[in-house]
Amino acid sequence: MENELTPSFAPFFGMSGIAFAMIFGCVGAAYGTAKSGIGIAGVGTYRPDLIMKSLIPVVMSGILAVYALVISVLIASDIRPPPGKNYSLYAGFMHMAAGLSVGLAGSAAGYAIGIVGDVGVRAYMQQSRIFVGMVLILIFAEVLGLYGLIVALILNTRASG
Amino acid sequence: MASRRIGTSEKTYLDNDGKGASEPSNITPAVPSSVIWKLLSFTFGMITLPIGTYFFTLNYVFSGNSTFAGATAAVMANVVLIAYVVVAMKEDQSERQEEEEKKKKSL
Repeated sequence: MENELTPSFAPFFGMSGIAFAMIFGCVGAAYGTAKSGIGIAGVGTYRPDLIMKSLIPVVMSGILAVYALVISVLIASDIRPPPGKNYSLYAGFMHMAAGLSVGLAGSAAGYAIGIVGDVGVRAYMQQSRIFVGMVLILIFAEVLGLYGLIVALILNTRASG
Repeated sequence: MASRRIGTSEKTYLDNDGKGASEPSNITPAVPSSVIWKLLSFTFGMITLPIGTYFFTLNYVFSGNSTFAGATAAVMANVVLIAYVVVAMKEDQSERQEEEEKKKKSL
């Protein structure tokens, strides 16, 4: 039943939330992977034994994509075609906010991971003590994406509950 | 000694036609296979574990509460990351121990 609260265009905003989460999250993950991959290629030619430890920023960038994936699957499970479920405009905006928060937080975290992964790995080639500091900085950059995920999860419960 | 001629007794690069008995070339990978298996298993875990836990816990543990299932999937992704960091640290330690043992043997 279409009324003011559940207009027919409301699912557009929910689906744009899915797309925003996946697009921006993967932009961040791709930037982090590519930028730290440049650093690994630079280090690997001189010290191939360090490649295993230098891959940590790549794994962290992969986790950012997993965050975006989780939120996309959650939002997609809440959207049904109109006769089965009346999708409210409120839920649509809420899902868009969830997708934007996890997506943009993911691209911010991916940007930080990419730069720290590139420079940190090159510095680790010359000074091995920098490893603990590099991993800590990477974890703090990763946590930025986690905050976006937490906010998106809370928003998602508000929309469905 | 302006220039040095190649002695006629030894074969030059041009004389070597490649038909002589050659040793079997070394085709073992530069990276040990244990490292490759570790990386492959972590890649597999990274792809399957979070999304697998989401759908498993959604139906069998949290009985339809998708928020908790999503949070569990994110936690599992971080578990894979922590396991990777631990394995990478251990690899470095074992390499250092091997180097120290080699030094002891050479002394």
